[in-house]
Amino acid sequence: MNAPMLRIADLTKRFGGLVALDRVTLDFEPNILHAIIGPNGAGKTTLFNVISGMLKSDSGTVQFRGKDITGMAPHRISRLGMSRSLQIKSVFDSMTVAENLWIAAQARQGVMHPFASRSRFGRTTERVDGILEQIGLTGLRNSPAGTLSYGDVALLEIGIALATEPSLLLLDEPICGMGPAETAETVEKIRHLAEEVDLIIIEHDMPVVFDLADRITVMAQGGVLARGTPDEIARNAAVREAYLGDEEEEDDPDA
Amino acid sequence: MELVVALALNGLVWGLIIALIALGLSIIFGLLDIINLAHGDFFMVGTVLTWFVLEATGNYWLAFLIVPLVGLVLGALVERSVIQPIRGTAALSIVATFGLSIIIQEVVRAGFGAAPKRILPPIEGTIPLFGIEYDYYRIFAAGVSIVAIFGFFVFLHRTKLGTWMRAVRFDRDTALAMGVPARTVYMVTFALGFAMASLGGAVAAPITTVDFQTGVDVLPFCFMAVIIGGLGNLPGTVAAAVLLAVTEGIVTSFTDPTVARIVSLCLMSAVLLARPHGLFTGATR
Amino acid sequence: MKERINRTVLLVVLAFLVAAPWVLPAIGFDYWLDILAEIIIWSLFAASVNLLFGYVGLLSFGQALFFGMGMFGVAIGIAKLGLGFWPALGFGMTVAIGTAAVAGALAVRLTWHYFAIITVVFSLIFYFLALSAKPLTGGDDGTSFSMPAMLEAGGFELSLTDPTVQYFFILSVAAAAYFLKYLIVKSPFGMALMAVRENDVRASLIGLNVYFLRWITFVIAGGFAGLAGCLFALFGRYASATYMFYHVSGEGVVWTIIGGAGTLFGPAVGTALLIVVREELSNIWEHYPILVGLVVILTVIFAPKGLMGFWNALLDRLAPAPADRASGGGRPNGAVDAAAVPAERRTGP
Repeated sequence: MNAPMLRIADLTKRFGGLVALDRVTLDFEPNILHAIIGPNGAGKTTLFNVISGMLKSDSGTVQFRGKDITGMAPHRISRLGMSRSLQIKSVFDSMTVAENLWIAAQARQGVMHPFASRSRFGRTTERVDGILEQIGLTGLRNSPAGTLSYGDVALLEIGIALATEPSLLLLDEPICGMGPAETAETVEKIRHLAEEVDLIIIEHDMPVVFDLADRITVMAQGGVLARGTPDEIARNAAVREAYLGDEEEEDDPDA
Repeated sequence: MELVVALALNGLVWGLIIALIALGLSIIFGLLDIINLAHGDFFMVGTVLTWFVLEATGNYWLAFLIVPLVGLVLGALVERSVIQPIRGTAALSIVATFGLSIIIQEVVRAGFGAAPKRILPPIEGTIPLFGIEYDYYRIFAAGVSIVAIFGFFVFLHRTKLGTWMRAVRFDRDTALAMGVPARTVYMVTFALGFAMASLGGAVAAPITTVDFQTGVDVLPFCFMAVIIGGLGNLPGTVAAAVLLAVTEGIVTSFTDPTVARIVSLCLMSAVLLARPHGLFTGATR
Repeated sequence: MKERINRTVLLVVLAFLVAAPWVLPAIGFDYWLDILAEIIIWSLFAASVNLLFGYVGLLSFGQALFFGMGMFGVAIGIAKLGLGFWPALGFGMTVAIGTAAVAGALAVRLTWHYFAIITVVFSLIFYFLALSAKPLTGGDDGTSFSMPAMLEAGGFELSLTDPTVQYFFILSVAAAAYFLKYLIVKSPFGMALMAVRENDVRASLIGLNVYFLRWITFVIAGGFAGLAGCLFALFGRYASATYMFYHVSGEGVVWTIIGGAGTLFGPAVGTALLIVVREELSNIWEHYPILVGLVVILTVIFAPKGLMGFWNALLDRLAPAPADRASGGGRPNGAVDAAAVPAERRTGP
């Protein structure tokens, strides 16, 4: 068994009186696809926000590949190789698709050359071409990102996350808002991705989750309700009770 | 000590007038997303209109009635012509209202003249207050401001229009979906903002000078009150205006006005940096 | 096609600027050389606003502070410290950039309205400080000085007292600054700034240090405003606190947005237009500012992306570009879209 790539210990986050994360302790092993599910307000997105540095936790620690990243700024965490997509899709609207990916790929280098022309960075450009191919947006490379369809924006988001050359990718509802055809396509892309990088996804679509995930974590009311393989989760009585057929979209408490 | 009391009282009176003006600035921002750089000039227009009413009729009390009414009409006109086409784009609103400010100042300079004038207060005399003799009129001015501020809150909470305004400010999309007539609400809001600023001008006219440039001095002060009070927090705006003016008044009694201004500006930066969402908000919503 | 038209226009304008000291007197417009110099200086000031607002999405109403710092740096350097031409220029720039570094470290912790307000507050603080420090600054009256020579070698002396030398000095400094701005905007760093402007959360998630990028842009913009202030002090041989008032900052914002925020030359176009309008109309009608105000409002209503945005849209219509444009190239019109309507609803508690 490999050592966990991501260790979360005793993580607590409050919003005023509301406890969004209540002493959450979780280990994520590498090389398998993790999914986090749970009803509305379970704290899934808050967990991602704290892991990626967008929110500071009230207590507890986060370790990424043996390094303590608790309270670290998002850009530093990103440079350590952790990348994430947002639940509410957001890209750089007035830049083209290629530029979106270009800046993400270049950002990973850390240093932003203030004077050299952008065309001089051949390696970055190559990488952009590769990612365009991977997410299937090559045909739209010169379209402004603001003009893309919802599904394409979601793909671009994944592309941006990939462009930073992550070793761990956190995807927050990657197929939310997609039609059936797009969903099937995206699921396949995610499955391929999982061969290259470690993945943790938050997803509401149960068939997709049970199809994709190797390991499922069920959250409820800021805590971990159950963990296990899809089979184990499907049989878990507490999980069934918590869901009761609830399939609603989750509201992001800190969008 | 007497000087401290007098200047603190002056600060209180001035703060209440500023509060009246700043409330208008705040609702215009909250409802229309307009950063109104001409708001100080609306105040200035109030002082100038007061001067004209006094010239024409000799009756100061009439000014308290006419000036806000004219302000209401001017506000509605400005909203329809300048604000309506650019609503919702705060960056453009800054430029458009800057242009508006230039026009207002120049029109006043053309019609009223460039030389500052003074107006005598309609009530003379002083009364003893906290061990000093204090101007009757300033107390009266404070009273008018309080009544107007109070009236504004009553309007906001007790009338249909006021309820609409609060609804739009709270959740624009829902309010519009529920059939609140947006254009009317926007126009009334802007007109009301203009009217309140010009009423502030009518009240302040005998205390300050009547000059086409006074708006430029008043504007930053109003913005500070709005920001320190917390964007969208109307009672906070009132409290911040009074707090700022009293602080400055008290500091002025120890040193010269410019240094007092610097001190209050430094305090203001500290507040902004430490509590960017205003002095009176809770930790997290 | 569009690129070519724009390049041609730029070359024509540059040729005119270089030939101006001979062309203008020849057609009887002698005093316009000074106005041209003034336009060039103020367009640098507008470029400073544009770097912050157009490229990194921060609307500063306090750039006059750094303009004033450069101005007083030069004036006090020459009049009080007895510095020569170049040391005084260096002193002015150091003071301006130093102030921007400190003010920026605080100011860029805030964004949008809060940022706009704190820049006003900072500039007001220094405005009042300059007013009250009369012995040093001369307050409202300002500090004047007599021009030291730029270069003295043997019997040869080069000084700004010669109007042509002065003009070319201002033109070449401004051209160098604009070239620097061009390089910055086209570089990966410039792209990173646009990413921050577009979406700061996303930018931080891909590993961009948003705070640092905003800060360094603030410092660079402070340098541009400071340089404009230094040049203006040398041009007018004096410095005055009135140029530090927030109204001056406001004019810079207006010039930028009228010309087209987020475009390289938009601010220069806006500055030129409004100063020319001012110069032309002030002779004809005493109350010409009314017309200036009208021009400003009409431009905002009918050309919300500024004159450059309007111009580019016009070219697009007259000479449609091929559908597939080279990627990564400068597309200033795309940038304007966002700058005119920045993603400003992201604030809030």
